Amino acid sequence: MPLDTASTYGQTLLRTDGRRWNELRRISASISTQPSTDGSSQFVMGNTVVVCNIVGPREGRGQRDTNNALIETEVTVAPFAQTDRRRRTKGDKRVQELQTTISSAFQAHLFTHLYPRSSITISLHVLSLDGALLASCLNAASLALVDAGVPMPSILAAVTSGVITSTDGITPSDPILDLNNSEELELPFLSVGTVSGLSEHQEDKVSVLIMESRIQIGQNGKKLEAMLAVGVDGCKQVRTIMGEVVRTHGTRILRGRK
Amino acid sequence: MASNLVFPGDAIAGVNIPASKSLHPASGLYRESSSAPILSTLAGKLEQNPKKKTANVTAPNARYIPRVGDLVIASVQRSSMDFFHLSICPHIPQAILPQLAFEGASKKTRPQLKTNDLVYAKVLSASKNMEVELTCVDPSTGKSEPEGLGPITGGMVFDISTGLAARLLSSQSIAVLEELGEKLAGGFEVAVGKNGKVWVDCPESGIKGIYAVGRCLQETDCGKLQQSEQQKLVKRVVQETGLG
Amino acid sequence: MPREAELSNIERTFILEALAQNIRLDGRARDDFRNLDVSFGDDYGACAVQLGKTKVNTRISAEVTKPFEERKFDGIFTITTELSPLASPAFETGRQTEQEVIVSRILEKAIRRSNAIDTESLCIIAGAKCWSIRADVHVLDYDGGLVDASCISIIAALQHFRRPDVSIDGENVTIYSLAEREPVPLSLMHHPICITFSFYHGGETVLLDATLHEEQARDGEMIVTMNRHGELCQIAKLGGVSVDALILLGCMNMTVTKVKDITELISTKLREDATHRDVGGLIAELSAQNDR
Repeated sequence: MPLDTASTYGQTLLRTDGRRWNELRRISASISTQPSTDGSSQFVMGNTVVVCNIVGPREGRGQRDTNNALIETEVTVAPFAQTDRRRRTKGDKRVQELQTTISSAFQAHLFTHLYPRSSITISLHVLSLDGALLASCLNAASLALVDAGVPMPSILAAVTSGVITSTDGITPSDPILDLNNSEELELPFLSVGTVSGLSEHQEDKVSVLIMESRIQIGQNGKKLEAMLAVGVDGCKQVRTIMGEVVRTHGTRILRGRK
Repeated sequence: MASNLVFPGDAIAGVNIPASKSLHPASGLYRESSSAPILSTLAGKLEQNPKKKTANVTAPNARYIPRVGDLVIASVQRSSMDFFHLSICPHIPQAILPQLAFEGASKKTRPQLKTNDLVYAKVLSASKNMEVELTCVDPSTGKSEPEGLGPITGGMVFDISTGLAARLLSSQSIAVLEELGEKLAGGFEVAVGKNGKVWVDCPESGIKGIYAVGRCLQETDCGKLQQSEQQKLVKRVVQETGLG
Repeated sequence: MPREAELSNIERTFILEALAQNIRLDGRARDDFRNLDVSFGDDYGACAVQLGKTKVNTRISAEVTKPFEERKFDGIFTITTELSPLASPAFETGRQTEQEVIVSRILEKAIRRSNAIDTESLCIIAGAKCWSIRADVHVLDYDGGLVDASCISIIAALQHFRRPDVSIDGENVTIYSLAEREPVPLSLMHHPICITFSFYHGGETVLLDATLHEEQARDGEMIVTMNRHGELCQIAKLGGVSVDALILLGCMNMTVTKVKDITELISTKLREDATHRDVGGLIAELSAQNDR
């Protein structure tokens, strides 16, 4: 029997790595990992490891915006990040799209109008990649921006969610949370990034939503709805974990000051 | 006022321009020597004015090229010590506008313009090797009247062809505007820039009024509508927006 | 250096205020498309799309090449987009702008990665010869809605295109010219169509098919690709303003009907073109009389 999530899940209700449908992989993160930069973080989600450094806000170079700070992003995926060693060129369109997405998400989310004519550079290094590339990069950047002290209304958190389409037509299609690399290859999945609503009663709002696989949206978009709901809920869990990381770091600093 | 179509190289017969007058190729007419026949340099409409003994060729969709005395709507790009740097249209280099070239402006009272603010200005100099210079005051009187030059606030700017802009400025009556003036309560205000921009404000009818004027102008421009069609258009747009 | 005229402050304010009152500058409703016109050239695979003032031309061409080493049984399909200064002062030749990368990336995901073309059918001899199909997208005039117009033009051109027929005899491949044998259409699996949604007022207002001015004033965008069977091919909300999840789901449902309309329009135009080509039908073809 082939060991893939699509075929095992129907029988065991467990995915290949033993998780249930709504379980995240283990997340560990730390901030202020690199004292030489203005803000830094390390974000580990399962086997995906991303390091992020922030430089800024500082005086912008070249084309500047007279009203806002410009967010620039550089993403480097290490050649040894995946099982097959592969060097990505600078002009890789996939990486460029990733950079644009991250810049644009934070450009709209942060209070950039407080720093006119300046720039904030986010540099991300993907050391190990096992799925959720965009989501991990967004999370790492979010944490590093908190560390850099850039004002923001809430923490932007991201996660991936997919769907297992039932093959027999009896069992319902199940959404799953936080796919690893092999699941990303076989199942359709979404990358979702959300920010929390402005007040207690407001729902979280979706900032980034990317899907690259072909999928039937189902009756009245039910399948998509399920995926999106699981994703938004997953983001909430990730945000709580990230909040905890920042809080732990904060208490440690405060204790040191006494 | 007679007019007909001419092409570059066409000899213009029957134009009564004194030999002493110099012709500028950019105005569409040209002659080798004072005795040679007058040739057209542009494809467009020949317009003659027998009384003033003048003629010019206009091409309605030509790109705008600044000439002294033109009224333009330009947008502020940045400001330096003594100047604002403005873009008249994207194809030509930025123009300069001295910060003190506003009515009643002194070192302390000069206007604070931000990037992407609009200014209604007049071209003061446009020579080949220098930056185009604009001004918002009449150099002789120091006043912004009669054209009402200065920073633009409120209302909306619409893009039109340079040909229509020139027609609007030449004080020929245009059916669309007359019809709109009758239909819209409280009337409206326009300022035309020769660089193909019209500023419209309509204090009484608000956004709907501005929208109606702008849309009628743009559709007249795109569709090259006749007088009766223009009237029909106005009636339709006014009805759709629920005005008048 | 020529640059795109940025939106002036009063234009931005006016567009946003007018939208709040449900008025668009060209009098459309929020979910209306501009006038869409699809026309075909004399040659197979030449298609011009006009969406309002935006004009896009696509040309499909085919040649026989060697397939990629790692994909021996597949033909090759490439999309190239060209934003020349012809269309807008903002575009330059030579240097790829961020916008150009995003446009080509989205078209790539929408059409190529969603397997719109059955690349296996392009294989002639495995590992040795295959068809390489190339779609060249030229933007002639730019007034917003680039992705939507480009996607429509590629899909229409692919359906219109006919490649020369081939026959295989052992290792020998014969390619027949258009006069010798009736050329064959490409085998398409589905017809993806891209729809761009623009968000205003912090994601409360959603517009379809924004013009250039409206695009410059928007807070964020989302491009959804779907085919008429209701299969999603791609979603791209690359950052921008954050929007309520329910509004996004509403957009997806709106896409279903819009995509059906556009697909219907393309097939009507294709049918018109086919009858136009087929003057006189079979009788005319059989006639030996020459035009004098």
